[in-house]
Amino acid sequence: MKRISTHLGLMLLFFFFVNTAIAQNVAVKGKVTDAATGESLIGVSVGEKGTANGVQTDVNGTYSISVPANATLTFSYIGYSAQALPVNGQTTLNVQLRAEANELKQVVVIGYGTQRKRDVTGSVASVNGDQLAKQPVQTPTQALQGKVAGVQVLSSGQPNAAPILRIRGTGSVLAGANPLYVVDGVLTDDIRNINNADIVSLDVLKDASAAIYGVRGANGVVIITTKKGKSGPAVVSYDANVGFREIASQIQLANRQQYVDYLNVASPGKIATDDKSPLTIPGTTNWADVVSRKGFYTNHNISVAGGGDKSTYFISANYYDEDGVIKTNNFQRFSLRANNDVKISDKLRFSDQLSLTRGAERAVDIGAIYGNVYRAAPIIPSIVNGLYGNTSAWGNVGNPLLQLDKANNFTLNNRVQGNVAVDYNPVKWLTFHSAFNLDARFNNQKNYGYLFNNDGSTFTVGGGNQRQPNSTLFVQNDNSYQYQWDNTVTFDRTFNQHHFTILGGIVTEKARSNFINGSRIDVPADPNQWFLDLGNPDLNAVDKNNGSLFTRQSFIGRVNYDYAGKYLVTGSIRRDGSSKFSQKYATFYTVGAGWVISEEDFIKGGIFDQLKLRGSYGELGNDNIDPSLFIVTGLPYQPYYFNNGTLANGTIIQDIKNTNLKWETTRQLDIGLDFAFLNSRLSGEVDYYNKKVNNALTYVTLPGILGDPDNRYITNAASYQNKGIEFALRWRDNINEHLSYNVGANISYNKNTITGLNGGQALNAGGANSQTITRTDNGQPIASYYVLNAIGVFQNQAEVDAAPTYDVGEAKHVGGLKYADTNGDGKVDANDRIYAGSYQPKYFGGFNFGVNYYSFDLSADFYGNWGNKIYNGKKNSRGNANDNIEASYANSRFTPTNPSSTNPDVISQSTPPSTYFIESGAFLRLNNLTLGYTVPTNMLKRTGISKFRVYLTSQNLFTAKRYSGSSPELFNTDILTSGIDATNYPVTRTFAFGVNVQF
Amino acid sequence: MKKIYKKHSTLLFICAAVIASTFSACKNYLDVQPQGQITQEQIANDPIQAKNLVTGIYNVFYIGGFEPDIDSFQFVIMTDIASDDADKGSEPLDYGDALQIDNLTTSSTNGVVNNVWTGHYQGIARANQALDKLDAAQFDAATKNALIGEAKFLRAYFYFNLVRLYGGVPLLDKLPLASEANQDKYQTRATVDEIYKFIIADLDFAAANLPDKGNTDVGRATKTAAQALEAKVYLYMKDYQKAYDLSNAVITSGKYSLVNDYSLIWRQKAVNGDGGNNNNESIFEIQAGINKSCTAGINLYTVSQGPRAGGKRGWADLGFGFNNPSQSLLNEYEPNDVRQAATVLTIQPNGTVLFDGFRIPSRDSVQNDRYSYKAYHSRTAEDNCGGNTDRLPKQVRILRYADILLINAEAAIQIGNPGAASTALTAVRARAKLAPVAPTLLNVWHERRVEMAEEHDRFFDIIRQDAVQPGRAAAAFAAHGKTWVPRAALFPIPQTQIDLSGGRLKQNPGY
Repeated sequence: MKRISTHLGLMLLFFFFVNTAIAQNVAVKGKVTDAATGESLIGVSVGEKGTANGVQTDVNGTYSISVPANATLTFSYIGYSAQALPVNGQTTLNVQLRAEANELKQVVVIGYGTQRKRDVTGSVASVNGDQLAKQPVQTPTQALQGKVAGVQVLSSGQPNAAPILRIRGTGSVLAGANPLYVVDGVLTDDIRNINNADIVSLDVLKDASAAIYGVRGANGVVIITTKKGKSGPAVVSYDANVGFREIASQIQLANRQQYVDYLNVASPGKIATDDKSPLTIPGTTNWADVVSRKGFYTNHNISVAGGGDKSTYFISANYYDEDGVIKTNNFQRFSLRANNDVKISDKLRFSDQLSLTRGAERAVDIGAIYGNVYRAAPIIPSIVNGLYGNTSAWGNVGNPLLQLDKANNFTLNNRVQGNVAVDYNPVKWLTFHSAFNLDARFNNQKNYGYLFNNDGSTFTVGGGNQRQPNSTLFVQNDNSYQYQWDNTVTFDRTFNQHHFTILGGIVTEKARSNFINGSRIDVPADPNQWFLDLGNPDLNAVDKNNGSLFTRQSFIGRVNYDYAGKYLVTGSIRRDGSSKFSQKYATFYTVGAGWVISEEDFIKGGIFDQLKLRGSYGELGNDNIDPSLFIVTGLPYQPYYFNNGTLANGTIIQDIKNTNLKWETTRQLDIGLDFAFLNSRLSGEVDYYNKKVNNALTYVTLPGILGDPDNRYITNAASYQNKGIEFALRWRDNINEHLSYNVGANISYNKNTITGLNGGQALNAGGANSQTITRTDNGQPIASYYVLNAIGVFQNQAEVDAAPTYDVGEAKHVGGLKYADTNGDGKVDANDRIYAGSYQPKYFGGFNFGVNYYSFDLSADFYGNWGNKIYNGKKNSRGNANDNIEASYANSRFTPTNPSSTNPDVISQSTPPSTYFIESGAFLRLNNLTLGYTVPTNMLKRTGISKFRVYLTSQNLFTAKRYSGSSPELFNTDILTSGIDATNYPVTRTFAFGVNVQF
Repeated sequence: MKKIYKKHSTLLFICAAVIASTFSACKNYLDVQPQGQITQEQIANDPIQAKNLVTGIYNVFYIGGFEPDIDSFQFVIMTDIASDDADKGSEPLDYGDALQIDNLTTSSTNGVVNNVWTGHYQGIARANQALDKLDAAQFDAATKNALIGEAKFLRAYFYFNLVRLYGGVPLLDKLPLASEANQDKYQTRATVDEIYKFIIADLDFAAANLPDKGNTDVGRATKTAAQALEAKVYLYMKDYQKAYDLSNAVITSGKYSLVNDYSLIWRQKAVNGDGGNNNNESIFEIQAGINKSCTAGINLYTVSQGPRAGGKRGWADLGFGFNNPSQSLLNEYEPNDVRQAATVLTIQPNGTVLFDGFRIPSRDSVQNDRYSYKAYHSRTAEDNCGGNTDRLPKQVRILRYADILLINAEAAIQIGNPGAASTALTAVRARAKLAPVAPTLLNVWHERRVEMAEEHDRFFDIIRQDAVQPGRAAAAFAAHGKTWVPRAALFPIPQTQIDLSGGRLKQNPGY
């Protein structure tokens, strides 16, 4: 603390070095319009060249600025070519700005600075905030789906689920494969607090240029920049949309008759010997329908932006409320943002970007609910006159509706995220920047389980094992704060044709988290009494409290050099220190070069408006592991009893740890070509990359003799490779002043391979019946399916007799699956398993188009992937002979009268994983379709409204797929089982109506 | 102009100073102590912790369920279900690994076989960890040797199970350093003789240094417990003289007597001073209790063997329904043997009322005909941890006086002392309300079977008897409706462990 205050004191010294300029001025007025359409442009920056003096155009496109008579005015506007005009004593200057088609001139955020896109040597993709905000989704990354080549996004229909991002393939199994997020300079792993409407741009660092984030950049970096105010009158915006979500593709389970028919084969004794009373209850229960509903959602944003000469502001508020499509599931978010900029003097600037979010979520345990929905018997009613159907008394799973109704899991998250920063420019080419970033979270969780018994008070009939004989309460408060202090110096200077930008800096980071929780039983059911004090203090009473702390210290440096805008060189280095490892420091770097061929005389003026060849190579790291993984620790207070009831406390030391654990290292090569021709109507880029991960963390199974409880430990023993090609193409054109359109497409090819296990072992992961389904082994993609090869169904006894013997848990029989004896040893067993693809797509991409015709706008975004496989785990998850089956299987399975050659007669717990359960994961989806109407400006005169747009939008209107399950998009955060469709939250379809109003 | 530059250079200096001070002040910034963790070093320097490490070995008895296991469900599978005393139970196809073992078709990839292997080595690792830290701990010699004795007693017990299940196994007499773990010494199997020799050395030390029963906490290993275990070990080693001497030492110590009512041996609470936990007959028993977090019991031991609903169902059942006493066992009981009703929980067509008044509704509401009564723990009359039935505080009796009497009887016959054998045998039979029989080997073996049924001893006993009188195993399994295969005398070395040793662990014959 003393150190920080000293530093702040030093920073305050800057205030003493403030200079101001005074001059003789004239007032210049004018209007700025679009050169093509003649439309007024609002918010154009009008500045006096060479000074900080500037204003913005108002809602009518007009401005007024006081400048010296001999000044030059600059006009700049995002998406338009800037212009500079001398005043020459005039008092009116009307200006027409030409839309900037050349995307290479965009500014991109590259970490601790920005760069013109044309000068970038790495692979950086940018997406405008508008593109994200127009979609009715909670998180910006979900809206990113299909927009950027090389970025695969997997989202869930579950409210408040953070989408999974894979930038250029899966690069880690245990240290997390998600990218780093940087929100206005704050490094974080969770951006669910960000209001999409607040985002001005989202930039993705895909290649080694992420090395400026060192040990955290290996999976790529997503940089989010939020809006700022502009000098000028206050602009009030109100955006809202309301709508509903429904299950996009409901699973179809067998009905009563199909189920009973199946049971007669799968569990022959069941119908004969069991209590038949359930069979007398008429009707079919569709359990998937019973637990689901249409979920209404609403999203309101209001923002005020503006500013004067010396300061700007952007203030926004957001309310988001979404009902999940599973009953009882709900999420609400309320967020506030204040981004301010104050020019204390021409040289000193103070800014802040702060957001406050409160999220309230009632969660559902989708794994448990859906695990039972797939299996529950359709002959049992869900609920009758307030009494639940007793599925477990029928020897079946628990009633999923009862499960939902008897649990209340509520979490409140409060989060403060943002920074305050000081920028000091002693001279124009030198910037000192000091930013104090904070990300603090305060969470409060309460899970209550209601008491119910397996008797007539809860169920229509008593019995079974579904009961909760004691009510349960779990309460947790946890908080975490992470601060990060960035101090950088940027030198930006041009000497003749040589332009240098040099960055140096120190980043200090500290993250602390704590939790305290307790659980009790026998707490009363009244929510006002859901406190630990009201539970039984003597039984099942557990209190826990612990925490973690880690620090990082990094030194960063970067040089960007260009010669005449033609030859570009970039180099960056980051020396990262992390308290997570015994060997604390590591160095990461990148080097990049670019050649803007279109600037060469021999090509200039030709068909290319832009042609740039670029390449980068660098090393990045991944330290995203638990801080204590390398420290051998003991567990105190392991109970034992002596003297007939006296508790004794044992201590054990038994976890084997690798005390030399270190970060994962990624080396990445990227070669790319950016191009634009036909007057920049056609533009695009192509990239090739090769990304190798070494020292990847993996589990290594330990011999049992070492006594490790789970017989494995984490160590650096694997290497992976992702290589691929990305291709993006955009076309935009104005047919006339009323009709313009744009079309874009991107496609990525990625090949993921495990290149070495350096003493590590193949990792097996399983599904429902703890069988191995995926295997992560040398030469294969991560989490490849490793199963028996099913080659048909036995049609008759002669086929059965002729087949090799079975040692797979299942007996060979007529109607059963036929497996290939791959190794030809006359026996079908675990040694006959084959690799059968993985969930990682070979190709993925999106295409989109937009049309503006008079006041109407229409846009459509498609997203799809190809070349991946899904393991239909829910088909294979029969834990019990009384489980229900899918309707499609019920209709197509082998029966003596319908001898199917593909579908077996029965799928039971002993049916081994095989290619029978593997299906194509290819799909194409209309991700978003939006139709908007903007009320023409002349109709809004005198209303005080400058813009009024209404729109209809639909997310996931349709999906073309080959997969027989409900959705080919699987949201599974566990990398090793990511392709096993077991108990995913249903994917949703959204219909919404919205308005955008600006005052 | 010059002045401005000067001003700027001052500024540059200040800014540089800011950055430099950040750097220097943060020199130790990265030395962060782990939060909320006790490190190995902290434990090593604390004598109380060294003592707690010994308590930590006992705690290993609570592992089990479907994970590494010592004396829980999977050990039950390998000792009772594997034998002629019990059938697998539950639903016919439930738990394929258990079914393999029941049918004598165990494969080397069987999960149960691996879990019991790793569970026992977990126990051995805890014992070795405690011995390692005790070595340097500051205690008076008697205290220290007693603690070492406890660790060695437990380690001997773990090896005794291993050697009976798998034959020779890797012998770890200390904690291998990470750099040593891959040595052949640890990655290959010691011989059966070497393991037995090691067990005897541990038990000799334990018997010499452990306090007598009564001079230490109830539940800790005692001098007589070490002697009793050693007597049993010598019986397996066919060193009948030593088995006789040591069992005699336990008998003549006068510290134990038979519980009058056989059925009360497995109850938690004594009835009129008879039976209950840590009763007069108990020599070594796993202790359990009710702590707030319900973690002080053996995972799934009771519930895995509890009666399971089936057919009509309609009641809240008591368990998974495994380990059903077999017809072959029922046939072994003599008429009027009180032990049958105390051992076998038989489901009557119109329901069965248990000792605590709990009523199992009817045969057609239950999956199986019979369950183990010895594994039952009452949900009403005995201590429970709320509704949590995974870790019911059932105290498994590892060594009890009747076992020692029968060891004594068998050893006495083998060394030609039928008088002593008769005394011991008659005592056991008298409690079962049965008349004395001649002290023959076959009579003692019969007695062992019915006395010790469902106590996780039978499979070992058949194999041991078969080595004394070849053909015993084949006959026993024939009577049980199964065909004996000689390879089944030892379980396979888990394939996973063979693979992890790089093939240095050699498989048992026949697998």
